Amino acid sequence: MNIRHLTDDELDELLLGADAPAGVSEHLASCVVCRRRRDTFLAAVGEARGADADAATRARVRQRALAAWGAAAPRHWVRWLGAAAALVVLGLLPLLRSELAPQPKINADRVLVEVDKILARDPLDEFAARDVVEAVVPAGQEGAERSTS
Amino acid sequence: MASVARRERPLGREDERELVDLARQGDSAAAEALLERHELLLFRTCRHLLPAGEDVEAAVQETMLRALKNLGRFSGEASFGGWLMAIAVNYCRDRLRRHRLVPFLSLEVRDEDEASPLAVLPSPEPNPERVAMARQAMRCLRREVARLPRRQHEVFALRFFVGLELGGIADALAVDVGTVKTHLHRAVKRVRRAVEEARP
Repeated sequence: MNIRHLTDDELDELLLGADAPAGVSEHLASCVVCRRRRDTFLAAVGEARGADADAATRARVRQRALAAWGAAAPRHWVRWLGAAAALVVLGLLPLLRSELAPQPKINADRVLVEVDKILARDPLDEFAARDVVEAVVPAGQEGAERSTS
Repeated sequence: MASVARRERPLGREDERELVDLARQGDSAAAEALLERHELLLFRTCRHLLPAGEDVEAAVQETMLRALKNLGRFSGEASFGGWLMAIAVNYCRDRLRRHRLVPFLSLEVRDEDEASPLAVLPSPEPNPERVAMARQAMRCLRREVARLPRRQHEVFALRFFVGLELGGIADALAVDVGTVKTHLHRAVKRVRRAVEEARP
């Protein structure tokens, strides 16, 4: 039996979970003193660790987190619905534009006044009026008509 | 994947990635399966890294919610568990900063400590003297752990109270395994010495 006890460094290496140096495990298996040093430390760690949260507590906390997430995160179908709505809006956009474009307002009275002015200024107006009269009443009959009337 | 409610075999990394993908699409069953897998470690982490008097359940819930909301940021390079633990550690650090508290653990013995069975005692029949010695050692350990520098405290708690392997601690703290070993070695040396000195 190896009577040399583990050094502090060897014991620490063992405790922190690294691969044990050669011979350490064999020594530990046969040495009560070194085993007690290790077990004293591990017992104190176990005491300080305490008990784990029970299953009911864990489930309650998990469900709360999931509920909060569900309330905050958009569902899968909501994203699809949003995309479909966007496509519809894009398709209708040209139509909406033409409908919504401002139409010019027409003031009928003002237009008639303008037309009258144009007609009044028209140099052909005089000839047009005479032609119309002659077409209705020929030039030779103008006096006869007057005498008969 | 047809169902995520119950699995006969333990989840592998690929299964977990699949669950993450489903949860990203809003699958609450997948999200629940992910949380259920890691919640025990989350509880332990928050319990031992939060300052005394902090609400552990609220911390775990907030950690879970942050993880679910940020699933899109999970790259998949590290394990999901490591990513989740990193969120928990950051949350606990935030709480510490807000409270401006340096020590992590309460020094007084809690009721649950008095009531807990001495499961890891080497003797199968603990006599009163052994029980008293174990309690004394535990108090010493708590006191010394509370005095550790922040990083040493984190690695010690994650290794011995949460039960993570060195690689898991490295993921949770976003450092390499060598750094974890260095801090853990210093912490173990200091705490073990204090525990041994407490023995009569």
